Amino acid sequence: MGIPCSNAPIVRASRTVSAAIPVSFLLLMLTAVLGCFEGVRNQPTPMRSAPPLTASHALGLTDPARDASLRLVMTGLDADEAGRPGRARARYQRAIRVDPTNPFAYLALARHHLEAGSLDEASAFLDQARTLFESEGRRGPGVDVWGFGLRAGIERGRGRDERADRLFEQARALAPEVWRDERLAPGELR
Amino acid sequence: MVQLGVGILPWGQGHRVRAARFEGIDTSIMAAARKRKQGTKRGQKSTRARPDERAARPPASLAARRAGLLVVALSFGLGVWAAGWLIDLDRVVVSRFEGRPFALPSRVYAAPTVIYPGVDWQKLDLAGWLSRMGYREQPEAGPLAVGRYRWLPGRLRVHLRGFDHPELPEPHRKVELRLESGRVREMRDERGRPLDVVALEPEPISSFYGTDREQRDLVVLEEVPPELVAAIYSVEDRRFEAHHGVDFVRIAGAMLANLRAGSIRQGGSTLTQQLVKNFFLTPERTLRRKATEAMMALLVEARYDKSRILEAYLNEIYMGRRGPTSIHGVGEASRFFYGKRVADLSLDESAMLAAVIASPNALSPHRHPERAKRRRDLVIGLMEAQGHVSAEAAERAQQRPVRPAAIALESSQDRYFLDELARQLPEVYDPDLLEVEGLRIYSTLDPAIQRAAVRSLSEGLDRLEARVGSAASRGEGAAAAVLQGCLLAMRPQTGEILAMVGGRDYGKSQWNRCTLARRQAGSAFKPVVYAAALSPQSGPLVTLATRLEDTPLKVETPDGSWEPSNYDKAFRGPVSVREAVERSLNVPAARLGQAVGIGKVVEMARRLGITSSLPNVPSLALGTAEVSPLEMAIVYATLANGGLRPTPRSFIGLLDDQGVGREQWPLAGARRVLDPGTAYLATSLLEGVVDRGTGAGIRARGLRGPIAGKTGTTDDEHDLWFVGFTPELVAVVWVGFDEPREIGVPSSRGALPIWADFLAEISGTRVRGAFTRPGSVERVEIDPTSGARALDGCRVHQPEYFLLGTAPEATCPDEPAVARPGLLRRLFGT
Repeated sequence: MGIPCSNAPIVRASRTVSAAIPVSFLLLMLTAVLGCFEGVRNQPTPMRSAPPLTASHALGLTDPARDASLRLVMTGLDADEAGRPGRARARYQRAIRVDPTNPFAYLALARHHLEAGSLDEASAFLDQARTLFESEGRRGPGVDVWGFGLRAGIERGRGRDERADRLFEQARALAPEVWRDERLAPGELR
Repeated sequence: MVQLGVGILPWGQGHRVRAARFEGIDTSIMAAARKRKQGTKRGQKSTRARPDERAARPPASLAARRAGLLVVALSFGLGVWAAGWLIDLDRVVVSRFEGRPFALPSRVYAAPTVIYPGVDWQKLDLAGWLSRMGYREQPEAGPLAVGRYRWLPGRLRVHLRGFDHPELPEPHRKVELRLESGRVREMRDERGRPLDVVALEPEPISSFYGTDREQRDLVVLEEVPPELVAAIYSVEDRRFEAHHGVDFVRIAGAMLANLRAGSIRQGGSTLTQQLVKNFFLTPERTLRRKATEAMMALLVEARYDKSRILEAYLNEIYMGRRGPTSIHGVGEASRFFYGKRVADLSLDESAMLAAVIASPNALSPHRHPERAKRRRDLVIGLMEAQGHVSAEAAERAQQRPVRPAAIALESSQDRYFLDELARQLPEVYDPDLLEVEGLRIYSTLDPAIQRAAVRSLSEGLDRLEARVGSAASRGEGAAAAVLQGCLLAMRPQTGEILAMVGGRDYGKSQWNRCTLARRQAGSAFKPVVYAAALSPQSGPLVTLATRLEDTPLKVETPDGSWEPSNYDKAFRGPVSVREAVERSLNVPAARLGQAVGIGKVVEMARRLGITSSLPNVPSLALGTAEVSPLEMAIVYATLANGGLRPTPRSFIGLLDDQGVGREQWPLAGARRVLDPGTAYLATSLLEGVVDRGTGAGIRARGLRGPIAGKTGTTDDEHDLWFVGFTPELVAVVWVGFDEPREIGVPSSRGALPIWADFLAEISGTRVRGAFTRPGSVERVEIDPTSGARALDGCRVHQPEYFLLGTAPEATCPDEPAVARPGLLRRLFGT
């Protein structure tokens, strides 16, 4: 018998290596994914323009009460557009009575009060609208576009220009067409 | 054919004629006086000329002279008195006519019901609304008159009356509703155009009366149909246009008829005399009163024209009673008897109103339809005989059945709400404005929800009393021994009070327990403590998964040591915050109150809407403070509304008696007092109470959907609470005795069933909407036994909610290697 020529260590080594390659690969991939994930998480979310969620877009998405309420909001916006603020406000308020959880009714009231210079009321209704949008799980740029812009208008009205500029910038990043003139026309919410 | 003013001059001319006559009388009196004066002077002259005659004439006796002087003095005195009397009567007449002639109650209306495609018309009680509002069915074909409706297979056609409203007045309009499976499928106007939303006329819920409790809907003469005027003339005063206030011809005729009959069968009062009697006098039957009545009638006719007198009569005449209030005038009577405006009355209906005047209660078409019909037909016959209507029209009218509208009696239970409304109004409006008579006050009350509240509370208290026995039956004294309760419902987003029943029977006790009572809230107060501990402002001190010790606790206070215990007197060791709330455990809540600080709890209570005095004592955490149900409604409304606190309001706005809008009180936005995340966590806890805890009786009654709430039972079961909410309604039920004493059951068997019945009646078995977590809250799987984050390999998993950044870092099982799959799951969402 000669020297026993055993290739067992080699086999073991090759086995180890062959086993280690996919594991290493997997670890590498995992690290990469984790890195990407963390990277993405740590970076500010880029503002992307998005189609704003309007009252007419929300029609047919929930139930008849919401639809009836939305239609009242839309006629109120028409009245606001036509320069009949009293009638518009009455429509919004009735819309709330039909569906008190309709965020668009509060949003329209916030816009209405902002135009009228009632900043506290505008702020309160905007807060209510955002709370309701949140409670419906509606988040993201389509909704934020209203929040940023109207809040900016309120801040501008309160003389906090720096904050208003920043918020308008965010609003314009989401919907440049809507907030170009820093005002929200009733039809744009419709 | 009705002829007004036939046979007399237009009033302006007639008035001048009368004035001329008066001036003529005055002239003749003056002339006679002058003649007497001249005669006296002549006599004096002749006396002086012929002194012998004077000496020859026999002297008048002293007695005769004295008698003559007495007569003159008496005549003078009588004249002075009569003049004074007439001046006084005239002053009374003028002041009434020139001032506010009628007492007009301020009316309170409910919120308008809104219908739209998809709405459940049976739940809205559309048929009941038609009946209550006096709409009448018109089965026969043909155009629908205002206030009429017609049921067709699968459809309802209705000619809606227009109405004023501070927000949105509505015109008359015909609407056709297509009905299918209990829902309105489609709405169209008379031109066939689809309608999105239709508001129904608000139901009048009550009135604020003067001391007379008169109900009156003022009319002007132009809107009164000629048939009604003719009918009243025919039966009450056919010579109204001809006489001057007192009809001597008719009086003579009546006297003759009465003499023949041997008893009083006919009266001779004119419309003017009836008006005078109602306006100024008492109903006593004395000669003096009749004389005064006649004189005042003459004065009224002398001062005012016929049309003004007639209009006053039409608004003043007594027409019957509705519950405790009296109906005055044809405007109100028209709505009362036929549910329509006076202008819309037909001939037979006009005749009925005229028929009723003679004896409104004995001839009421509601109570004595046969008798009323006979009298109505008599009136129609008189109208025909006097040429006001043709024979054909009279015959057609006489053939029509008597079909009065249903009587909508106001519920005395609504008066709790009205009392609160009366308290709120002066806080917003100028008292001078509220003094205006005939105000129309548009409230937030939802009639359907109010009816459900009244019924649920009444039946619930009856059931409870039947089960536990009344305090009186237990020999605890009759006084204040009636089990009382309160049910209050509010919109969380707007603070609008939708229903309020402040006691068991307003007739027996007007004490509004919803707003005025201050009672210990018991465990219903605990959400305030948990909100204080969960709020980021406190750290947050705890999360929903934090373990709290349910072990004996002793707190030293200046008044001695305080040792809280649980309802069942047992201790469970460590329990999660969620479990402590769901089981309504006292000891963990007391411990948490100590940890967060009673000062912080008080601060949170203030932010959430409690204004009552809150003692800075450890037991506050268990709800020993006395608060009102309204305050509790605001606290829970704030949680339901994502941390935005609404301001309670019971009205929308006012219109004056001309329908003109007065200063309005527009909807106000709610104020942010709590972050949405904490509000959601508290809501989630209270949802758990209903799903698994002491409020599980709600689910056991088949109610599904987003419902959150909390029971509250005070020591010795003196006060039972259930406060709960859905995304669009918060409701409070309180049950107890006015003088606190043991009820004998916990709130889960006392207040909760009332709350559940109420919600089931207004929402059905499926509640609308959802409680959705805001972006500031994350959902994490945890191990409920340890409160650690549950990874794969953890034996028990349970989802729990955390404010971002507050989820537990410890994991279950506590091995990093096993944590990897959990991480991957997070990454890839598997």
